[in-house]
Amino acid sequence: MTKRRMFLRMITASLLRRRSRMLIALLSIGIGATILAGLVTIYYDVPRQMRAQMRSYGANMLLMPADGETLTEARLEETLSRFPEETLVGAAPYRYVRLDMTSRQQSFTTAGTDFDAVQKTSPYFSVEGAYPAASREILVGKEIAETIGVKVGSEMELTWQPTAVAEGDASADWVPGAMLSGSAEGWSGGSVSISATLGEDGKIAEITVDASTQTAEFGGRAQTDEAFLNQFVGKSLPLRLTNVTDENAGAGIRTAMSAAPEGSDEVDALTGATVTSSAIVNALNGARTASAASQPRTMKYTVSGILVTGGEEEGYIFMALSDLEALTGEDRLDVAELSVSAEEDQLNAYAEGITEEDNGVTARLVKRVTKSETAVLGKLQALVFLVTVVVLLLTMICVSTTMMAVVSERRREIGLRKALGASDNSIRGEFLGEGIFLGTLGGVLGAVLGFVFAQVVSVNVFGSSITFQPLLLPVTVLVSVAIAAVSCLAPIKRAMAIDPALVLKGE
Amino acid sequence: MLFRMIKGVLFHQKGKMLLIAITIALGASLATGMLNVVMDVEDKVNKELKNYGANITVKPKDVSLLSDIYDTGENGEALNAAYLREDELGKLKTIFWAFNIVDFTPFLDTQVALPDGSSAQVVGTWFNHHLALPTGEELDAGVVGMRSWWEITDGRWLDEADADAGNEIMVGALLAEEKRWTVGETVALTGPEGALDAKIVGIYDAGGDEDSQIFATLDAVQALTDRDGKVTSIEVSALTTPDNDLARRAARNPAALTSRDYETWYCTAYVSAICYQIQEVITGSVASAVRQVAESEGTILDKTKLLMILITALSLIGSALGISNLVTASVMERAQEIGLLKAIGAKDRSITGVVMTEILITALLGFAAGYFMGFGFAQLIGRSVFGSAVEMNPTVIPIVAGLIALVTIAGSIPAIRMVLRLKPAEVLHGGH
Repeated sequence: MTKRRMFLRMITASLLRRRSRMLIALLSIGIGATILAGLVTIYYDVPRQMRAQMRSYGANMLLMPADGETLTEARLEETLSRFPEETLVGAAPYRYVRLDMTSRQQSFTTAGTDFDAVQKTSPYFSVEGAYPAASREILVGKEIAETIGVKVGSEMELTWQPTAVAEGDASADWVPGAMLSGSAEGWSGGSVSISATLGEDGKIAEITVDASTQTAEFGGRAQTDEAFLNQFVGKSLPLRLTNVTDENAGAGIRTAMSAAPEGSDEVDALTGATVTSSAIVNALNGARTASAASQPRTMKYTVSGILVTGGEEEGYIFMALSDLEALTGEDRLDVAELSVSAEEDQLNAYAEGITEEDNGVTARLVKRVTKSETAVLGKLQALVFLVTVVVLLLTMICVSTTMMAVVSERRREIGLRKALGASDNSIRGEFLGEGIFLGTLGGVLGAVLGFVFAQVVSVNVFGSSITFQPLLLPVTVLVSVAIAAVSCLAPIKRAMAIDPALVLKGE
Repeated sequence: MLFRMIKGVLFHQKGKMLLIAITIALGASLATGMLNVVMDVEDKVNKELKNYGANITVKPKDVSLLSDIYDTGENGEALNAAYLREDELGKLKTIFWAFNIVDFTPFLDTQVALPDGSSAQVVGTWFNHHLALPTGEELDAGVVGMRSWWEITDGRWLDEADADAGNEIMVGALLAEEKRWTVGETVALTGPEGALDAKIVGIYDAGGDEDSQIFATLDAVQALTDRDGKVTSIEVSALTTPDNDLARRAARNPAALTSRDYETWYCTAYVSAICYQIQEVITGSVASAVRQVAESEGTILDKTKLLMILITALSLIGSALGISNLVTASVMERAQEIGLLKAIGAKDRSITGVVMTEILITALLGFAAGYFMGFGFAQLIGRSVFGSAVEMNPTVIPIVAGLIALVTIAGSIPAIRMVLRLKPAEVLHGGH
């Protein structure tokens, strides 16, 4: 029998024969390792998880248009692409306008936004009723609701007054006798201009076309062709162009064919002058849009919910950005609120990066949120750190006292072996081997159980799972082995220092 | 005889018993420390969360927020202005939950004309206003405590104790940059009812709307607007209990509660209950919870508490297993001695009695030492993390004592039984 096999046999025999004692030692190391692995995992995961919870305080970064620039949704999208997906909790665009409630001669600040995003960036908003789901549904702040007495399900008529009405356009509407005028590009870049008068019913009553820049025998005919011009009379804008014979329809023609929605009134193109015809339709539609943009517009909205925040938002009305755009005809944002899950330094880096990129967007941090978050998170992390240290320290001492007790019990055995002539080193080696075996087994067991514990904590407290830290397994095993070995050595050393005879005698 | 035997074990087998005592002391200190920390953690974290500023705003009943909604007058004031009374502010510290009111500050704002013809908003408030309450309590209240996130980029905080405080102002970073103002400069402010030559003592970066405002003392703004003793709003920072179902029902309408529920609600530091009590002492006011702060506070507190409870549970289980483990080991170690007692005719019951008494005495000593160690650990954590002592909760003593007793008995009884089942001869012979 080789020395090594004998060694193995002695260890296994000792482990098997002393099942209950070894079980106690193993249990003790297992507990220590579980606490080690569990607490360390939690300690590393707490900042990330808590930071996610802290996002309930709302936006911590604002994106605003830089001086002289406008912020559009497209620009916002582009800026948001800088953020890694997992750090961006939400980004709510806001456009603020004042809308009039003519029936009560009051005006309210109205915010156009994206409600899905709002629920992410401002989770503290509380809505009696529901967030708007369909178009033309709005949220009304509690203060407004109480002042004017609206409830969930009420209807409100809101009017948008354009701030700057272009000169000369003021009369241009489909009020009786309103004049529309405009021009569009026709054949070979020549400009075709129109002027039209609207009748009592808002439909075209009269139209004159100036197509003098077009080729006389083709487009030029549009100016005089009675049949062509007469078909405009009695139609409402916008118009669609049909009966296009030209297969190679250019951009202008395609616009004239598709700009107006389905079901709009249609006019046939003049044979041989498709480009000119399309220019006329485009000029009419364009004149209508230009005129409409400068007119007050009123729409009726349903109140889907009353907003309670305890802050100034209670004095606002909120509607979907698309609804507000339909009312004002402008695609423009005043500010975007971002909720970013990152450390303060990282946030500063993002903000500087965005501002420096010079994309017409400046970023500012909401100091109240970022500063406070840093302070509170720092404290929480320090708390978990200290608790972890104290618990680990005490647990490890506990483990080693148990190990010591289990080993000192075998003083007799050590004495006997010594009396039989075993060398100190071989005894020490055997006990160390046992300790290492127990440490490894307990360590692996503890690492697994600790991860399970951390997972339970994470799921219960934060509602999300933890990723396993592979490095933690060897660390846990190493620490367990070290503790087991160290706590074995002290009692063995004491046992060996004594005369075998005394030990055997039981004193 | 029993006494002598026990004394013998305690003194002659000092080493073994010391090991047990140490382990029990460690377990007890762990349990004591963690339980104390977990019971106080809500309070401590709550105080930290005061960093986020006010969680309650108080406004006059008739015009709450109306100046935000309606078109405002020439100088930026609500057309039908109503005010709260400055002299009533001290009453905030007389409500049922007075101790939970951490800080508060009044506001009165107005538009002023600047020398260059433009206008700016001046906010009058308390900075570190010294209040001596009728109850004999003294405190400093104001924005210094409630704007912890302000960064003073230049100069200093306005100090109300200064003789010249009434002529001093603090200016937001954006405004200061736009007007090229620096600390030490004097700016002429013309209000609707008066004028002030104000000296800039500090420039702050608030990272919000306040960056384009001017902050002055409340008295100064009251003089500018001729509104002596009046304020437009009050911000209150209060320690609150996270809302539950009852609190939510009460917030809607306290009158609809049963008298029993009402009492429970009124006597719990729910934000709605504190709001209600504030309304009772401040004439013509509406106090409402700032949900951004109040709601989030609840979330963070609940999460932190649950986290700490789970960690505590783990360490309690750990120390319980550790102690019972060691006790089991120490009993089994004494198999020979027990065998000997049995061989000379001792009854099972008296052997159990002797061994148990020894262990329990050791446990008691360990517990006493452990409790004070745990006290130390709790204070260590409280001092180094939160900078204040952790309150020692007396209920922890019976909990830990019970736990230790249970664990020691649970660890020793089965082991003693097992040892007693062995035949004395076998045990004494040394065979296992």
